[in-house]
Amino acid sequence: MPTPRLHWMRGRAEAEGGETRALEWIGCDDAGAAIARVVRLQGPIHTGWRLYRAVALDTEARVVQLRPPPPAGADWLACIGGQVVGRAALPLQAVRTAEAALGTG
Amino acid sequence: MSETPLDKIRNIGITAHIDAGKTTTTERILYYTGVSHRIGEVHDGNTTTDYMEQERERGITITSAAVTCEWKGHRINIIDTPGHIDFNIEVNRSLRVLDGAVFIIEGVAGVQPQSETNWRLADRYNVPRLIFINKLDRTGADFYRAFDTLKEKLDIVALPLQLPIGVEDQFSGVVDLVEMKAIIWEGGELGAKYHDAPIPDDLLEKAREYRQLLLDTALSVDDAAMEEYFEAGDVATATLKRCIKAATISGAFRPVLCGTAFKNKGVQPLLDAVLDYLPSPIDVPGIKIAAEEGEDEHAERRRIKADPKAPFAGLAFKIINDKYGTLTFVRVYAGTLRSGDMVQNTTRGHRERIGRMFQMHADKRAEIKEVSAGDIAAFVGLKDTMTGDTLAAAEDPVVLERMAFPVPVIDISVEPRTKESVEKMTIGLQKLAGEDPSLRLRTDQESGQTILSGMGELHLEIIIDRLKREYGVEANIGAPQVAYRETISRAVTETYTHKKQTGGSGQYAEVKIVFEPLERNGGVVFENKVVGGSVPREYIPAVEKGIRVQADTGVLAGFPTVDFKYTLIDGKYHDVDSSALAFEIAAKACFREGMKKAGPIILEPIMDVEVTTPQDHVGDVVGDLNRRRGMIQNQESSGSTIIVRAHVPLKEMFGYISDLRSMTKGRASFTMQFHHYDPVPRNIADEIMTKSA
Ligand SMILES: Nc1nc2c(ncn2[C@@H]2O[C@H](COP(=O)(O)OP(=O)(O)O)[C@@H](O)[C@H]2O)c(=O)[nH]1
Repeated sequence: MPTPRLHWMRGRAEAEGGETRALEWIGCDDAGAAIARVVRLQGPIHTGWRLYRAVALDTEARVVQLRPPPPAGADWLACIGGQVVGRAALPLQAVRTAEAALGTG
Repeated sequence: MSETPLDKIRNIGITAHIDAGKTTTTERILYYTGVSHRIGEVHDGNTTTDYMEQERERGITITSAAVTCEWKGHRINIIDTPGHIDFNIEVNRSLRVLDGAVFIIEGVAGVQPQSETNWRLADRYNVPRLIFINKLDRTGADFYRAFDTLKEKLDIVALPLQLPIGVEDQFSGVVDLVEMKAIIWEGGELGAKYHDAPIPDDLLEKAREYRQLLLDTALSVDDAAMEEYFEAGDVATATLKRCIKAATISGAFRPVLCGTAFKNKGVQPLLDAVLDYLPSPIDVPGIKIAAEEGEDEHAERRRIKADPKAPFAGLAFKIINDKYGTLTFVRVYAGTLRSGDMVQNTTRGHRERIGRMFQMHADKRAEIKEVSAGDIAAFVGLKDTMTGDTLAAAEDPVVLERMAFPVPVIDISVEPRTKESVEKMTIGLQKLAGEDPSLRLRTDQESGQTILSGMGELHLEIIIDRLKREYGVEANIGAPQVAYRETISRAVTETYTHKKQTGGSGQYAEVKIVFEPLERNGGVVFENKVVGGSVPREYIPAVEKGIRVQADTGVLAGFPTVDFKYTLIDGKYHDVDSSALAFEIAAKACFREGMKKAGPIILEPIMDVEVTTPQDHVGDVVGDLNRRRGMIQNQESSGSTIIVRAHVPLKEMFGYISDLRSMTKGRASFTMQFHHYDPVPRNIADEIMTKSA
């Protein structure tokens, strides 16, 4: 595997059973600008009378609904700008997806 | 023996489908750990092989309840986990006392129905597991296909830590994906010699691909490890191992290793993995104390942490009688115990003095002077401690397990082949019943036959086999029968006078007894309400004895009578002619007469049956259970498998395993355990009574 071209660091996190776990990883370029994100999907969640099967945080940490919901096992989204460029089961796979999208795009 | 720190102890079980190689793997483990233990001690090249041969002959280690071995400065206690559902309580208890398990599947067939059953049992206790794909030397073995059955049949995230080098008879070693190297076994010396090597060229590509999968999956459980990876493009071996261990304990994924125990390849790295990834006693949350009567089994309760300085607490999980006497195997959860100490048996409420203590090794039993939290030892000479009992310090008398009342649901009649061995057989069976609370012994009043009751056919077969091997008694056995019970449905008052005039002194006794039905599981309750000495005190025990003996042979079909209360309210006696015997006879007859008028009924054991079947066969399975008088309780799906739970009379479950197999082409499996007793329907009661007449 080539060394990742972006610098990835922990984004927002959530407390989970006494531990904090990253909900997203932010990929920055050499100048430190955030270029890509990989985000953990959450859900299903209940809000009032509706059930959202899949949700994630956008860059402003707003909960956004994903439509159509991704297939089972695709728990991480790779995002560049506001755009979802791919999905993966595991965060490192999503990171590779994001970088590959940058390379080809 | 020097004291082993807690983090260097592993209490593990090895579970497998029958024939998958549990025994062979255990033997190899004991052999290799024995070798490493002896290095520097014995220099003669042949000694180790001889020792292996002897072991084979005696086979003691494998039949021991727990055997201790040393590997790279750690102590591994291997706890025997019986693999059959007939031993439900024992399986459950052994799963409780271990902290982790090696789950063996076969390289040819992969996961088989019984492996599924064992897997789910281990799931219930959240046992951390490593998977070992064995028999890769066999023709037709395929690591990748066997691996796929893990996902298909068990619906788990399995993750290879190794890849095989070569297939079938060319299988020569494994690629270690954690350290990215090959491990190659040399011929000879039963596989004790092996060395590291570079990964073969033709496997390099595949190894990289699987290494990436390993990193992707393992690092995702630990953000700090992810950062290390982003920083350096890889992680240190220690980091990767830390992630694998955490995920093994949480069950986030299940690490998979491979080899061939029989051809002596792959066992040593399996032992390394036990040390690296399975938890020590301090890596697990500690045993929960038992629920109070009526409290929810799953409720949060105090846990006993593994701390050698805390008050002592331990669980007796197995009792074995061998030629040295009675050995009680105890898993110590907290505190330290020295021989000579006093402890409380909190299950039964008496004190026990700890005599000699041992740890069982492959080649010897090692006497120890003390045992501490996290470890396992066998105690000699406990007076009155049964399996499942808690031993605890008086200052913190915790109870770790509620007393279970296993209900033996299958009867067989037993008869010694020779008249001379009647007494030997009785003694042997009484000893065996003392070790095993799920075994019961009684004598049928009418036929005089000895009836043995147990949890299942296999359970009873094993007992008969042990009777032969350990007590030298060969016995003929009858066909297995459902252990029916009898009870009554209404109250009745019965008076019986026993009067006999034979030449000299006669016999005289009269009793007046009220018989009343009790709720299910009410047992047999006696009350004495005699006033004014109409039945003298000294004869009361004779009345009790008469009823107890007679109740073992019920009036309808000769099955034990349960769930009733009898109250002695009045009677008559004669100064000269009354005797204990006369009152016993009167009580027996009063029972027989009274029962007939009290609306006697036959009860049958109803089993809690859990069938795991692929979706496509659910219809057949449910239809068939209905035909067996089953009441479906619920259906749950997990992935593409459906779990059907039903209450089914045991009578209808004879031969179920083969019917289920043919109905589902061998893809479904089931477990069952006793749930409750219910009255049998009229037509079946008639059938049972005709048979017994
Ligand atoms: N070819 C081959 N046979 C094996 C292997 N491991 C066990 N066996 C054989 O499979 C049979 C059952 O093994 P055993 O260890 O008794 O299985 P258990 O029933 O799980 O204890 C025996 O004949 C063993 O010799 C293996 O790795 N390769």
